[in-house]
Amino acid sequence: MTDAILDIDHISKRFGDVTAVDDLSFSVPRGSVFGLLGPNGAGKSTTIRMIMRIIMADSGRVLLDGEPVDDDRRRLIGYLPEERGLYKKMKVLEHLVFLGTIRGLPPGEAKKRSQAWLESFELGDWATHKVEDLSKGMQQKVQLIGALIHRPQLLILDEPFSGLDPLNTRVFKDLLLKMAAEGVTIVLSTHVLPQVDELCTHICLINRARAIINGRLNDIRAEYGGNVWRLSGELDREAIAALPAVTDVQPLGDELLAELAPDASSRELMAALAAQGGLESFTRFVPELENIFIRAVEEDRANG
Amino acid sequence: MVSLPRIAAVIRREYLERVKTKAFWISTLLVPIFLGAVMIIPAWLAARGGGTFSVAVLDFTGRFTEPIRTELDDLLETSASTATEELEETGVVPGEQAEAVGEMVSEPLLKLELVPLEVGADPEAARNRAKQSVHNGDYDGLLVLPATLPDEGQAEYVSPNVSTFQMLSVLERSVNNVMVASRLTAAGLDPDRVGELTRRVDLKTFKLGAKGQETHDQGQGFLISYVFMMIIYMTVLMYGIYVMRGVLEEKSSHIVEVIISTVKPFELMLGKILGIGAVGLTQFLLWSLLMIAITAPGAAAAVGMGGLELPAVPAIQIIFFVVYFALGFLLYGTLYAGIGAAFDTEQEAQNFQGVVTMFLVVPLVLMMYILNQPDAPLSVALSLFPFFTPMLMFLRMTLTQVPAYQLVASVVLMCATIVAAAWIVGKIYRVGILMHGSKPKFKDLLRWIREA
Repeated sequence: MTDAILDIDHISKRFGDVTAVDDLSFSVPRGSVFGLLGPNGAGKSTTIRMIMRIIMADSGRVLLDGEPVDDDRRRLIGYLPEERGLYKKMKVLEHLVFLGTIRGLPPGEAKKRSQAWLESFELGDWATHKVEDLSKGMQQKVQLIGALIHRPQLLILDEPFSGLDPLNTRVFKDLLLKMAAEGVTIVLSTHVLPQVDELCTHICLINRARAIINGRLNDIRAEYGGNVWRLSGELDREAIAALPAVTDVQPLGDELLAELAPDASSRELMAALAAQGGLESFTRFVPELENIFIRAVEEDRANG
Repeated sequence: MVSLPRIAAVIRREYLERVKTKAFWISTLLVPIFLGAVMIIPAWLAARGGGTFSVAVLDFTGRFTEPIRTELDDLLETSASTATEELEETGVVPGEQAEAVGEMVSEPLLKLELVPLEVGADPEAARNRAKQSVHNGDYDGLLVLPATLPDEGQAEYVSPNVSTFQMLSVLERSVNNVMVASRLTAAGLDPDRVGELTRRVDLKTFKLGAKGQETHDQGQGFLISYVFMMIIYMTVLMYGIYVMRGVLEEKSSHIVEVIISTVKPFELMLGKILGIGAVGLTQFLLWSLLMIAITAPGAAAAVGMGGLELPAVPAIQIIFFVVYFALGFLLYGTLYAGIGAAFDTEQEAQNFQGVVTMFLVVPLVLMMYILNQPDAPLSVALSLFPFFTPMLMFLRMTLTQVPAYQLVASVVLMCATIVAAAWIVGKIYRVGILMHGSKPKFKDLLRWIREA
């Protein structure tokens, strides 16, 4: 049993006739970077909003460190919603102090931390400017500081990279990786999969209001990779396809992907290939997350 | 349970954000200046209705020019000296200052010079000549006293400018006085004696207060209560709309979800309403201080010149003015908060905003009825209707002796309505602030209330 910082325990939410989240359960291991994935409208944001008690679950519970999340305990979580903004007429520093105080910091402490954060984001000179004078990228940094200012052990980010330019995306990612290294648990929802590859240790794929894949990213990859092997060298595709254990051979760029029957041994394939000659490398095929995503969603659709 | 520190943080933000704007200070400064101007300028203009006029006279009767000139001088002098007397009598300004001010006004501001013209043999020709010289600007006007004046009582005044009311009124009065005196003398009566006997009665009005004391009231009491009522109307409307705009801004800037991930929607709504209400009370405080400064000696003199007395407003009325503003704002501010939460833009909100604003406007329409019958059962009922109470009960307070139980009842009813409104609107607010896109209809709002 891994140590979970956040447990989602059979939560459901209906809006009129639409079931937005249907009996969803998953656990976020402490210290993980947890990707909440799914197509648009799958229920990611609704789930996050229920964790933050912005909307109330019809049934089920959310546990933070094993205790139900209530209006006070939810402030222990750092939260950056998908729809995020700032008061445009407020001065940057005052705004951050306000966000700090409603998260329970004393004003003096909130001010000290805000200034430190602004310095580290090279926004120190902007502290006394109005928010509306800042560029969009700077405003996004201010929003992120607002979510981090009370040093949460759990950070929930809903589509954190949407609307960011590549430079700021890099800044955000580096910061998240740094925080993860410091032991902060990060939950992020996204449908931009390359970022998940780069950041996440765990994922939960939601489709049509339910979790269809959930677990450690490496395990999932291995599972979805199946008995497929990646071959390169001077190879004869036809000859490989003719081997008894091989069910299919597909080209992948200059290389070949050979799929074996589920119970077939890769050693036999390697031995056979060695006999044919010309083999330069032989590795297990790790599928792109995108392929897993599409396959899982399509399988789910076929089952439904 | 609501958390006070969180609400306090929201109140603080709302308050400071608005008090720090230029708009707040401009309106804080301009309103008293405007109000002062409304009260002082007419009085000032009346007093300043002066100037020097040169009027040509064609006297076909041949005997009235001199008596009219004498009467004119008399009238102009008395009007100046009565101003001083009134100042002392009303006690607006203490004795010494009244004298000083009196000196300022004792010099007649209006000067009228009569220039008799040759009548000649041909009346028509004389008339045309005189008109021509008025036209040329030699005189400001031409007074024609026809030979038939004593019998028909018709005189003429010809001028390019006939809107110099103050001057015309003095001129008319002097011609009139001279003609009346002349007729009285012709009938064998003593004009002075008749004047004494037909002196008008001066009806002084007094308002009976709670402790049986009488307050001298020349109608300015009503003027003040009308102004105060309008201030309640305008400020409740203005600050109510601020609440609506504030909520709309939080929605459109997408800050709201960040806030309600730590602050409950009800806390945010309450904090916003209380913060903006505190701005309103601050503005009242500053207005009062400014008004006290403006009505200090110098300005009071200007008011005194018009013979207008600034009545002392009883403390109880000032207290209820603040109480009714506060309660009225809480009630309407809550409704406007709900409207702001339900819609995405002010345009979309217009219809519902109009309905709420109508409740504020209706009392203005009902005012005339209440003015005439402040104690009628319908007036009592209307003033107890919580949506009308802030304006109508306040109006009745200034007009009549409202029983204490009615005041208490009005406050209790308003508080109950505010709690009910906050409860219902809180539900609309909770759902609405996260809604974007399609414009909700009335039945959607009812559904939100049911489901939230």
